[in-house]
Amino acid sequence: MNQQPPGHDESDGVGDLYRQASALDSSRPSESVRKAVLAHAARLAEERASPRASRTGARWRVLWRPAVFGTLAAAALAGLMIAPRFLAPSAPAPTTVVALKAVPGRASAPATTSADASVATAESASVVAPTVTRAQAPPPIAPAPSPAEFRRAAEEGDLPALQKLLKVPVDIDSRDTLGRTALMLATLRGHAEAVDILLDGGADPNVADNRGTTPLQAAKAANAVAIVASLERKGAK
Amino acid sequence: MTDAGESDEALIGRYARGDAAAFTLLYRRHEMRVWRYLERNVGNHATADELLQEVWFAVARDAPRYQSSARFGSWLFTIAHNRMIDSIRASRPQTSLESLGYEAAPVLAQLTSEATPLAAVLTRDQAGALKSALGQLPREQREAFLLQAEGELSVEEISDITRSSFETTKSRLRYARTKLRELLSEYK
Repeated sequence: MNQQPPGHDESDGVGDLYRQASALDSSRPSESVRKAVLAHAARLAEERASPRASRTGARWRVLWRPAVFGTLAAAALAGLMIAPRFLAPSAPAPTTVVALKAVPGRASAPATTSADASVATAESASVVAPTVTRAQAPPPIAPAPSPAEFRRAAEEGDLPALQKLLKVPVDIDSRDTLGRTALMLATLRGHAEAVDILLDGGADPNVADNRGTTPLQAAKAANAVAIVASLERKGAK
Repeated sequence: MTDAGESDEALIGRYARGDAAAFTLLYRRHEMRVWRYLERNVGNHATADELLQEVWFAVARDAPRYQSSARFGSWLFTIAHNRMIDSIRASRPQTSLESLGYEAAPVLAQLTSEATPLAAVLTRDQAGALKSALGQLPREQREAFLLQAEGELSVEEISDITRSSFETTKSRLRYARTKLRELLSEYK
């Protein structure tokens, strides 16, 4: 199946040059990737090695399925009931009118549920609806960004992503395998605004990469005047 | 080619039957080659990390479907190639591959072109020169070269993976090698 690759029998020396230079390249994948891959592979292997466990898992999945569909159906029903209140905010929802009519003597009878209270007036209905929605759907907890994700946003000058990621706890001075921080990567790519955001976010301007190059040295080498000024304002050396 | 006297194909077969140690061997054997292929194509460490993880997750998941008639290396680099292209397309769905500048390897070319003073920082050694040289190749030539250099694939295999004709692939490899020889000649 496999033929000898053409590069291996050509005597142009390019293959040797490539391997020689590659050996000097210190770039390496992150250790976290290796751990994640091997852990994932081990989990799959375990499932394959013990089919009984897989079957148990499958049974659980079968049992969970009705629950998932039930939850989705309930959510859809709730959506159908609540949506008209948002779609026609100036007029009471049809269900509200029906409810008002369907509560005889409500002036004398104290409201016993929050639903009763919500249909007391059209105004109160429009106020209560969003509260109910929030109560049913708690805000999702944002997962902590990986340092690699953060550095990539800096390297790409993705300002919205960078600002968003800085709102959650993140190691702002995390380094890649070449020792480059997010600030260094943003500097190397000439993203002046990203540099400012990082410096304002507390990035250390003096973290050098594995070769000892600081962001300021890189910015000066690139003649990136705005970045040099920003770095110097923050005490970069 | 084998660490423990066992072929890649035998190892993936063992893993498909539930032997995690076989996967670890395979991973260690090919990790750096796949990594260099990805990192030198996309020019971004973080993206290469993500892609590397995706590639090996796919290998783990699809191991039971691996066909032993195909060479493992070819299968592995097919996954890597497809993941890389998918990632680029998914990250900017409104634009074509070419309009991303992927053709011109913006990251590497930008950081290492002679017109950029940063070259002084980034190409101070041979490894930097290599990346600089690769960055100056057109995308198709660079990828063909890396599939050959890192994947140790034949012209036929590279043609299959990149969906190009045999002659086109041969031509790309020839141009890539000529250009690299020229750019790296001072390091001989």
